[in-house]
Amino acid sequence: MLHWLIIVGTIYVAILFFLSWRSRKKIKSNEDFMMAGSNVGLVLGFMTFAATLFSTFTLMGMPDFSRTHGVGAWIFLAFSDAGMVFLIVWFGYHLRKQVAKSGFKGMSGLLQNRYQNKWAGYIYFLAVFIFLVPYVAIQIRGVAIFLEQAFPSALPAWAWSLMIVVIMLLYSEFGGLKAIIYADFMQGTMLLIVVWVIALTCLNHIGGWTEMFSQVENTDPKLLSTPGPNSLLSAQFLIASFLAILMIPVTQPQLSTRLVIMKSTKKMHRMAVAVGTFAMLVIFPTIIIGLYGAIKYADASTADFLGNVLIRDQVEFIAAAAIIGLFAAAMSTSDSQLFALGNELRGLLGHKGSDSLAPIRIAIISFAIAALVFSLVSSDQLVLLARTSFAGTAMMGPLVILAILSKKPQGWFMILMSGLGLAAFVLSEAGVLPKFLGTVRMDLFLMIVLAVCGMGNYLLKK
Amino acid sequence: MKQKIYWRITAAIAVLLILLTFTPLVIAPGKTDPKLFSMPYTLWTSILITIALVVLTYIGGRVHLNDDNDD
Repeated sequence: MLHWLIIVGTIYVAILFFLSWRSRKKIKSNEDFMMAGSNVGLVLGFMTFAATLFSTFTLMGMPDFSRTHGVGAWIFLAFSDAGMVFLIVWFGYHLRKQVAKSGFKGMSGLLQNRYQNKWAGYIYFLAVFIFLVPYVAIQIRGVAIFLEQAFPSALPAWAWSLMIVVIMLLYSEFGGLKAIIYADFMQGTMLLIVVWVIALTCLNHIGGWTEMFSQVENTDPKLLSTPGPNSLLSAQFLIASFLAILMIPVTQPQLSTRLVIMKSTKKMHRMAVAVGTFAMLVIFPTIIIGLYGAIKYADASTADFLGNVLIRDQVEFIAAAAIIGLFAAAMSTSDSQLFALGNELRGLLGHKGSDSLAPIRIAIISFAIAALVFSLVSSDQLVLLARTSFAGTAMMGPLVILAILSKKPQGWFMILMSGLGLAAFVLSEAGVLPKFLGTVRMDLFLMIVLAVCGMGNYLLKK
Repeated sequence: MKQKIYWRITAAIAVLLILLTFTPLVIAPGKTDPKLFSMPYTLWTSILITIALVVLTYIGGRVHLNDDNDD
């Protein structure tokens, strides 16, 4: 299989650098480098949004999640994503309206401008830094550990991690956001093809669609309903996850940026529909792969299950494409997140269009190094760590929405409450504060409190 | 004005579908019947609701304000 991996890998890296070189030729200003000229069409816009949204946790995490927790995984992710794309229609319009008035150098800068208070930007940046860097790290780690186990005699996990980070930094630093968008297009297409080929192979192995559900029922009937065998997917867990995922385009800068850079609001609305459709098409096969795993590899460890289902059960060419697909999925989300962090810093520093981008480029490299270091020590629970990242940044949701909807500065109250909410969530995740208040999950409680505060603030300051 | 009403109706239907999903109507513990194309109850109902939400996103995009008809 190694020769297939070398062939597919070489073609993939060559295309990446070709696209990066092509993008570089079109860069005429800092704005072109950081914001791709804010003129992205429907197809590129949808693919870059989708590829940024679906990371390694889609190809590695979701099959394992549905293997362990059953069909409720669909509600956890696909249904929540459908809610999220609906929100884009409304939120994207209001965001773009504000950006048309005051410009956009990251959400931090926009918040400082809207609240007329520096702390609004600082709190937001702190939240995205705390939760995006570990999110980037777990994706790199997920792929690196998988590759280490798949090729034990090749490279250690840290070397695979380093390779991913170096390739990612090279093409994004060279070609800017446009290069990332082109790469996303290729990576999104690859993810969709690979995940379907693997799912169809699994269905073939198991004897077909009906046979799969019948065998799952014999293995563990709890997989066929919520809350699943481990009772994780309770209504409360699913509601908190839904709210966290709903807030992704509002609070995660790599996705807010992608709403801003679309050519028009009409195109952004169509992009939302395309992302929703893509989400269903990508997540559905991961459920099939997961149920196949529940039948064939019920007691296997996550690494063994993924090694078998993605590599050993596939023909060599597909296995090689799956490995490159994993690389692609990790890079397409991580590069966008690191780049967005750089753009947020640009907004906080009050960077002017004519200023040199060198400090921002150095900051992006520093964020990448921080993620690389974190990837060496983080946990392997891809989906649950990703969910923590979504929930953590979701604490900023009411702060952002209030800024976007209001016509005048909204005072310091929501800035303070968002800071306290963020602190409470971090302390709860660290085990200092409880994860439940009575029977209510801490994340859900904080989201509700902040939403009520935001609404009250809006009505009082209207 | 008409567009605003259409948007509000679309949003209300979306919110209703979302709320329904978190009730035992969709996530009834242990409920697998009736099946559709061999899929258990929770899976096929949630897939249908997901498709409905994406269709509502399309309709919402058509009736929501945009650059051309800004208020």
